[in-house]
Amino acid sequence: MRTTVPLVIGFIAGVIMLLSFFFRTEGTLIGTASEELLIWSSIIAGFSFLLGAASIIRVNWRQISLRKPGWIYNLLTVIAVFAMMIPALTPKGWLPESLVSLAGRDTGSIYDWFFTYVATPMSQTMFAVLAFYIASAAYRAFRARSAEATLLLITAALVMLWRVPMGEAFLRTLNQHLPEWINTYVMSGINLSVQRGIVIGAALGAASFSLRILLGIERTYMGRG
Amino acid sequence: MVALSAVAWLTICSSSLRARDQPPAPQSAFRFDRINALVAMIVFGGAVLLYTRWAKQGKPLYIRKLAGLDAIEEAVGRATEMGKPVLFIPGIQELDEIETIAGVSILGRVARITAQYETPLIVPVRYPLVLAAGQEVVEQAYRKMGRIDSYDKDTVRYVAGDQMAFAATVNGMLMRDRPAANIYMGAFFAESLVIAETGNAAGSIQIAGTAQPEQLPFFIAACDYTLMGEELYAASAYLSHEPLLLGGLKGQDLFKVLLVIIIILGIILMLLGAAETYLSWFKIA
Amino acid sequence: MNAWTKISQLDRRWVYLAVWIAVIIPLVFPARFPISITPEARQLYNAVEALPESSVVLLTFDVYPNALAETEPMARAALHHLFRKNIKVVTLTTIPLGGPSIAERVTREFATLYHKTYGVDFVNLGYKPNYASVLKGLSTSIEAIYPTDNSGTPLKQLPLMQKVKSYADMKFIFVVTDNGIIDYWISIVNAQYNIPVGAGVTAVMAPKQYAYVGSGQLTGLLGGMKGAAEYEELVGKPALATTGMGIQSLVHFLLIALIGLGNLGYFLGRRRKEGTA
Repeated sequence: MRTTVPLVIGFIAGVIMLLSFFFRTEGTLIGTASEELLIWSSIIAGFSFLLGAASIIRVNWRQISLRKPGWIYNLLTVIAVFAMMIPALTPKGWLPESLVSLAGRDTGSIYDWFFTYVATPMSQTMFAVLAFYIASAAYRAFRARSAEATLLLITAALVMLWRVPMGEAFLRTLNQHLPEWINTYVMSGINLSVQRGIVIGAALGAASFSLRILLGIERTYMGRG
Repeated sequence: MVALSAVAWLTICSSSLRARDQPPAPQSAFRFDRINALVAMIVFGGAVLLYTRWAKQGKPLYIRKLAGLDAIEEAVGRATEMGKPVLFIPGIQELDEIETIAGVSILGRVARITAQYETPLIVPVRYPLVLAAGQEVVEQAYRKMGRIDSYDKDTVRYVAGDQMAFAATVNGMLMRDRPAANIYMGAFFAESLVIAETGNAAGSIQIAGTAQPEQLPFFIAACDYTLMGEELYAASAYLSHEPLLLGGLKGQDLFKVLLVIIIILGIILMLLGAAETYLSWFKIA
Repeated sequence: MNAWTKISQLDRRWVYLAVWIAVIIPLVFPARFPISITPEARQLYNAVEALPESSVVLLTFDVYPNALAETEPMARAALHHLFRKNIKVVTLTTIPLGGPSIAERVTREFATLYHKTYGVDFVNLGYKPNYASVLKGLSTSIEAIYPTDNSGTPLKQLPLMQKVKSYADMKFIFVVTDNGIIDYWISIVNAQYNIPVGAGVTAVMAPKQYAYVGSGQLTGLLGGMKGAAEYEELVGKPALATTGMGIQSLVHFLLIALIGLGNLGYFLGRRRKEGTA
């Protein structure tokens, strides 16, 4: 029962969504059913955030109550969760006139302040770290150990130069048309065809995997099989 | 060839119907302008089911070696010897993404190995539904191996909803817990290099697999083994060696061969300047 | 261990220091270089330029806060172009974490600059979960998916949304994104509803999108900060992306030098080792 019911639900829902591509959505039973399923999945996704909030609070609270090393960071995490959640969810009608702008998610609210001045800079800092990491990864790993690797490195260097104005100016000193050749033959030629091959392969892999899930052949994602 | 003929016949029929001077017929519920997609789907499904049936009948099916997947058991063994945990990330997308489902499937296989060796497993996830699926999969794996007592509910933990907050949390785990083996299987984006490079700095053996082509260079630079694109989807079948799953892989390969033939035919016709009708067969309305 | 081998195994912190210096120098001593325009960026610009006045464009802010350095300049340059041509703009996002706030902040700033009125010239629909249902649902009825805008105002009260009911009322979709949602805008919206889609994506994502530009599924492409700088050049409003080109140039040169140095150290170190063995 625990295995069969989810498989049957998955099969029916999958077949409806698959067939809806071949039928008009207006005025057909299958079109209506597929639209309903999409709305239901939105609702389930919304409820699932409650699960996440509960998990993050439970895991961190356990670390705090046991005073595990670094428990102060777990406490900060829990405080941050509530500091953003409570003002965002507080109905504006509950607050006096002077504090109404602090509630909700509009510009000027507490939620927006935390997002703009705390979350965004921290996210951007982590993203900026990529510049350092790619340099160290490239320095460590990009070795011309074979003919293919050498070709790859030369191409990478040319594309890196092509991609920036200073590099492009340098390439034009070698040949006036070199940047255009790189765009045409490397980016829109070799790169385009290789990307298509990878994307087609991945798409077929995904389609096959989806078909196996639909038919109940693949059950490992449920912990069965 | 039968499928191609069917597509051609139907396209010609629908074209000739349009060409006649008749008032437009009322729109039917079925979209005949998408019949080519239906034929392709039937051919694809047929190929997968055919090989699955042959697999059930015991026909041997060859799958080439995937070094990254062979290395998983070795990596878990290394972690056991060192007394360090294994870190597994099933991607950073929601459960409705096929890559995440593939990642969770592989998690089930890895959890069986860690249960067998009694190696600690850490699985940080980014979405609540992935948390629920991951917990179920890991629990079932431990139960199957008879090690349900060693199962910790917080093995799979929801750490953050934001991409970079997730990366920062995982980086913290990598530097504090120093897992001996890191396995990244699923959809990754900008945080791929942040996590993989930190894992490299922590001295872990790293195995990655993703169908996001733009992240492959980062994983190749920072990880010891990388699975590319469809190899991720093949992983579950490869690790289980189950004939039914392997049959599906072979069916997919047959369809790929058909696609290659179609592309070559198209190139030849394009060069001869006679590809217009042929190309129209593959347009999706 | 000989000197060359030591060079090839340099502590990563020296590499980090070198990158840091390469980023600081152009900030302290800024330099501008002429920005050449790629055919893909020009194609996108021309597509928007060809739109008649008062047509409606959907501008998406499918961006996370971390990639704003690359994506926000694209959105800003796009808004310069759209508002200058008196094109009506409807914005939305499929990213809950900040997408609505970013869209709100940027569009309001440009609205003040170009004297545009909210509800008449532009509307911010905000975020709704489950992008598949959003992208499909907008083909039938925008109001069914977004009964209210981002601030909670019913769409019935917004004059612009009385004219814009679905994709059929839009002339172009300008997707600014840093994640895989672009694949769905192409496969769901462009493929099934035949509305032209142009994209501004991060530099890492750009190579994959060339395949879609080549097949005509994408009408133009901006790749990373260079793409944003190109669009700023085309609209005649050089800003953050153009300034960033100096920094990116120096870092790219540094990366090439580091890779060269690493390989030199590796090969010469190996040769020395074989020589002494």
